Amino acid sequence: MSIVLLIVAAAVPFMVMPFYVRVGQLILLSAALGLAWTLLGGFAGYWSFGHAAFIGLGAFSAGLFETELMKGQPLLGFGLGLIVGGVVCALAAAVVAWPILRLRGIYFAVAMLGVSQVLAELTNNVDVFKGSMGLVLPRIAAFGLRPEALFYDVLLIATVVVGCIAFAIKNGRIGAGLMAIREDEDTARMLGVPTERYKIMMFILSAALTGALGVIYAHSLGYITTSSVYRTEFSLNMIVYNLLGGMGTLVGPFLGSAVMVILTQVVLGRLLSIHMFITGALLVLLVLAAPKGIIGLFKGGLFGGRAKG
Amino acid sequence: MSTPILRLEHVTKRFRGLVATNDVSFAVPEGSICSLIGPNGAGKSTIFNLVTGYLAPSEGHIFFGKTRIDGTPTTQLARAGIARCFQIAKPFADLSVRENVRIGALFGRDGARDIAAVTDDALALTGLSDLAGRPAGDMTVGYLRRLELARAIAARPVLLLADEPCAGLNATETEDIVTILRLVRDRGVSVLLVEHDMQAVMRVSDQIFVLDAGALIAAGPPEAIAGDPRVIAAYLGTEAVE
Ligand SMILES: Nc1ncnc2c1ncn2[C@@H]1O[C@H](COP(=O)(O)OP(=O)(O)OP(=O)(O)O)[C@@H](O)[C@H]1O
Ligand SMILES: [Mg+2]
Repeated sequence: MSIVLLIVAAAVPFMVMPFYVRVGQLILLSAALGLAWTLLGGFAGYWSFGHAAFIGLGAFSAGLFETELMKGQPLLGFGLGLIVGGVVCALAAAVVAWPILRLRGIYFAVAMLGVSQVLAELTNNVDVFKGSMGLVLPRIAAFGLRPEALFYDVLLIATVVVGCIAFAIKNGRIGAGLMAIREDEDTARMLGVPTERYKIMMFILSAALTGALGVIYAHSLGYITTSSVYRTEFSLNMIVYNLLGGMGTLVGPFLGSAVMVILTQVVLGRLLSIHMFITGALLVLLVLAAPKGIIGLFKGGLFGGRAKG
Repeated sequence: MSTPILRLEHVTKRFRGLVATNDVSFAVPEGSICSLIGPNGAGKSTIFNLVTGYLAPSEGHIFFGKTRIDGTPTTQLARAGIARCFQIAKPFADLSVRENVRIGALFGRDGARDIAAVTDDALALTGLSDLAGRPAGDMTVGYLRRLELARAIAARPVLLLADEPCAGLNATETEDIVTILRLVRDRGVSVLLVEHDMQAVMRVSDQIFVLDAGALIAAGPPEAIAGDPRVIAAYLGTEAVE
């Protein structure tokens, strides 16, 4: 059943107009980013406001690796670049994890925002990183696919992989531990949940996956600068998709990103001047009407989510 | 005598100027129910925080069996077999009763176990089997106290610390909690209880430790404590007079 669905989904880019392929790409990328974010944010309740840091870091580390060390081998370079981007982000997360994960609630969120700003400034101002000039990524082509079809399918695979990882974590012992951390960290510790270890593991995993997705995103752009990958908008959107779809759930990021992308790209795409305004207003409405996200609507009904406080 | 399951040696805890625990020493024999009593602010919860690694003593040492544990991280102590019910019940409100208890079974003390069996057993022991599917956030105080106990029991502790498990409960509910504590003790778990309900304390305790303003002022079996003039002055005073 799901196999059939996947094959159909993979065939989509060959059946629809390029514009809709790009919409599909964006939905997949957004969903995958939302899932990567939620490993820590939704599952453990540690909301990062700066996950764009890992998109940027992944994109630039892989970009530099591929352009400097993998000349003439674009496809292999891309494959290894995914790993490089992921590993560099994992290492960066491991370095900041210890101090930053001692902070709770809004302090953690803001600290991550800071991390993101610092990395963006470094990329922009240290010349070897080529952040301000920009970096042209090797063009990859495979199996004679058009680029947008290729990236659509790459993103589909990436989304499935991230989705499977998130599923395994949520339904495993670690998922129960993360939920306990989210609900009450002091109680979690008293019950023997290895809170520090779990938080650090999820932070690193979330960063690595976000980094690898950043690499794919960079390739789909073809040319990146600091401002095209270290975008605060990304950080916020990862939270919005989850909030909108259902925080801490697996379908949430899919629902949230689909609604947001279709809304902003398709429905409001032609009303450019007021599109941000309408998007913002709709978001406020949706969050008010469905505090537990779209998925919560099916479970609890309108305005039912926070009644108990 | 065998090694006590818990031993405090000259434990002092200062918060800036305030001495919350002042040179306290006592021991909980293995397999017993001991109670820590004293007026509000005497330092009872602080001792629980010290024993469970939320705080480190300013001076003195704490032993769990033969192991020195002061300053050990809470998670590690839980895995070694110390469980605690908080004074303010802290259920995972979004989860069902069963899911709450299951987290205790999934984690808690190290060692092989059948998660489902441990969960069911803890639910049954605390009389929560019929409510297992309910969201924990919907429970009344009486049931929240049981849930707090069930979750701790599912963690399969060697030593259970219960901080005022009967607070806010009526006589019947209190009786139920006392029964649960006895059942737990009968399984070989040592219990350290903090409780204001003197009736319950006197009936259930093997040993009682009395704290006043951070210091241990008396220790002994219930009969001795009930007649101790220092205790009557510090703690039972008002009740003894009426
Ligand atoms: N983290 C802390 N920082 C500063 N002071 C504290 C802290 N924890 C407890 N205290 C103080 O230490 C003293 C003992 O508090 P504790 O909570 O241990 O009392 P208790 O015996 O449990 O009282 P109750 O019966 O009201 O629960 C109080 O004066 C309290 O204000
Ligand atoms: Mg107290």
